[in-house]
Amino acid sequence: MPYLSDIQHRRVIEPNGNEVAKLSDLAVVPQGQFPAVQWAVLATPGGERVVRWTELAQEIGHLRLRGRLDTINDAPLPQEALRLSRDLMDKQVVDTHGAKVVRVNDLQLSEVDGQLRLVGADVGLRGLLRRVGAEGLAERVVGLAGQKLPRGIIPWHLVETLGAAEGNVRVTVPRTKLALLHPADIADIVEEMSVDERRAVFEELDVETAADALSEVDPEMQASIVSDLDEERAADILDEMAPDEAADLLQDLSEERREELVELMQKEEAADVEELLTYSEDSAGGIMTTDFIALPAELTAGAAIDRLRELQPDAELTYYLYVVDGEGHLDGVISLRDLVVAKPATPITEVMDRNVLKVDVTSPKEEVAALIAKYNLLALPVVDARRKLLGTVTVDDVVDIMLPRGWRKRSLRSIAR
Amino acid sequence: MRGGRIARPLGALRRRANRRRLAFAAFLAVLGPGVITGFAGNEAGGVTTYSSIGAQFGFSLLWLLFVASIGLGVIQEMCSRMGITTGQGLSDLIRERFGVRWTILAMLVLIIANGSNVVAEFAGIAASVEILGVPRIVSVPIAALGVWSLVVFFSYRFVERALFVLVLAFLAYPISVLILKPDWPVVMSGLIPSIPTSPSALVFALALVGTTITPYLLFYMQASVVDKGVTRQSAAYARVDVFLGAAIAGLFAFFIIVVTGTVLYPAGIQVTSAEDAAQALVPLAGERAGLLFAAGLCGASLLGAVVMPLSTSYAICEAFGWESGISKNFREAPVFMSLFTLMLALGATVVLIPGISLIPLIISAQIANGILLPIILVFILRLATDRHVMGDAVNGRITTVLGWGVAALAGSLSLGYLFASFFAT
Repeated sequence: MPYLSDIQHRRVIEPNGNEVAKLSDLAVVPQGQFPAVQWAVLATPGGERVVRWTELAQEIGHLRLRGRLDTINDAPLPQEALRLSRDLMDKQVVDTHGAKVVRVNDLQLSEVDGQLRLVGADVGLRGLLRRVGAEGLAERVVGLAGQKLPRGIIPWHLVETLGAAEGNVRVTVPRTKLALLHPADIADIVEEMSVDERRAVFEELDVETAADALSEVDPEMQASIVSDLDEERAADILDEMAPDEAADLLQDLSEERREELVELMQKEEAADVEELLTYSEDSAGGIMTTDFIALPAELTAGAAIDRLRELQPDAELTYYLYVVDGEGHLDGVISLRDLVVAKPATPITEVMDRNVLKVDVTSPKEEVAALIAKYNLLALPVVDARRKLLGTVTVDDVVDIMLPRGWRKRSLRSIAR
Repeated sequence: MRGGRIARPLGALRRRANRRRLAFAAFLAVLGPGVITGFAGNEAGGVTTYSSIGAQFGFSLLWLLFVASIGLGVIQEMCSRMGITTGQGLSDLIRERFGVRWTILAMLVLIIANGSNVVAEFAGIAASVEILGVPRIVSVPIAALGVWSLVVFFSYRFVERALFVLVLAFLAYPISVLILKPDWPVVMSGLIPSIPTSPSALVFALALVGTTITPYLLFYMQASVVDKGVTRQSAAYARVDVFLGAAIAGLFAFFIIVVTGTVLYPAGIQVTSAEDAAQALVPLAGERAGLLFAAGLCGASLLGAVVMPLSTSYAICEAFGWESGISKNFREAPVFMSLFTLMLALGATVVLIPGISLIPLIISAQIANGILLPIILVFILRLATDRHVMGDAVNGRITTVLGWGVAALAGSLSLGYLFASFFAT
């Protein structure tokens, strides 16, 4: 199977054997699993010429044109075309299988049904060695030790290109493969990208995925991503995020930017976030979320289940269901299990547990973490001085506080690359 | 309907009132990379080289320091602009623009330059604690192991802050200038260029340029700009930050040369050990001069020993696409961790070679940096003048001319040095 580095710079001859050019690049339209090579870029003494790949035949050591070069028409490259050497070689791409950013050392091509196709990106040591013409030598040296050089090829259908800015023309390829990854994986990948690539990704992902991924990104970087995004887009993503996470993020922005974004957010979400922003970052109020399920005390078990069906809450909200009176004061708590096994006509006040473990909104977050750890809770309600239910702190909000220092992911790129 | 109808104009009013404060806040937000890099330049190599130059040549090389500081500002500005425009680190850009072969050359240069810097840092550590009577066979292995485990197991930011406090000991130089009241007309006469003719002046001229415009600093600068995510809108602030940083670096070097040139040069004291260099602080600190100098040198060297191997490993892994990151282990990021560990181990080992003298070792490292600097400068200039890479932020004519001027100066100094040492043997 040939590699781009093998055939690049090959001599291009006319039918009569005259050398007229060197192959300088190949181009594909990045669609389908393994895109076909459709154009060849030739370096001629008179400058660059783009011809159809079908005008060339591969022969040993060189490429032969089917006709004289001056009789062949130029085939202009469409906007969406990718030039393999210029746009991909040595660039960073995403390995969507391993969910990480890697660098392309070489590109693997293969003849499939009579068509040369781009089948893989070589990101391994072999590719590097081949580029400096030392692959054979290294292979022999390693062979002496009875070993083999490992191959590091990612099949092309698992590769996602990052938008390449070349001559200020953005090659935009929809990042569909990226959108299929787990948001946490997207976050990891995004942390490796440059500012522009990052912005492009968050502009293109659907709002929900973007919000999930943004929640997983390192806090410092979150702020810079949101500052770079278009305001409307940023507000849309913030709307989708859990209010506590949106509030944490907004906290890191400049006052001006924060005000702008909150103004643009939807009323309900904005109100939640603004409320959260008033609490100190280190208190229960600062880490709680205002998303929780509060059931009015007068409901029966059956009516409560109907209510849940209507609300269709996220999984992490259904750990505990809180029972509140007309003024929103916390009266008790019911587990989903208790609710389901109770007879439909039973008032929920009869099945609820009146001894609710709760914390005051001003308690320090370490205390909240300690309580959750001690009683093995999944969530803990947060109330004000008058026992009014304000929010809940879930276990994932306190994991960071409980982990020892070194466990937290450290972003250390700032001491240079 | 989004947002409140009233909230919006109110917000706008408040914003207008805040604008002035915001401009300053925006400056503070961008401030950092340049100024921090300016301080970081004063590591073991810098202090030792400037002290030796002041002691040996008085003020006569001040003009070169002036030129080198301007050069530092010009080149750093290019790196900062490249970081802002492309959002990519320097090694990243070199790889994408010049391909594998040139990248290997650039990275070899970086490894040699930074490797010799690591040696210099450990020499600085050894020299500073020898003032306090601790032999290097004890201090160096402890420092190497300490640095390694600090980086691997603890927070880098914490270490950085702690060491910065030690480095503040070098504030002793500007304060000394106030006490010493040097003869300013004589000092300023050093700003008149005089071409170094004696071989030793040439050597120190090269070391001065090498330590002022360290290749490492250029990579570091661009990386911090990228990491900070400085936007194109705040590029103007970033420029101020860079020039401020270069000015700080230049001023600090200036103070060191003025102090050593006033105290050591007339007394004929040459800097052959850290104690000699510390003598310059005696008028200020008396008996405590040694302790003061040792604290500063030790802090600066440790800081360098932490940052240098890390920054090198990041740059190299980025260029070749290898996994990098401190929170990864040897299996996840084999090249990164091995490089980092090896550089520390090698740096420490060289210093422990029996009978090796520390000050010449530190100076040699700066010479190595000076010799290699032109190669990195060519890469930087080629990138910064490339419209494909830089778009509208491409170098202007004046910047380009200044940049090539710096490269020519650095190039002729290193060629002159190589030429001279060739004929000497």
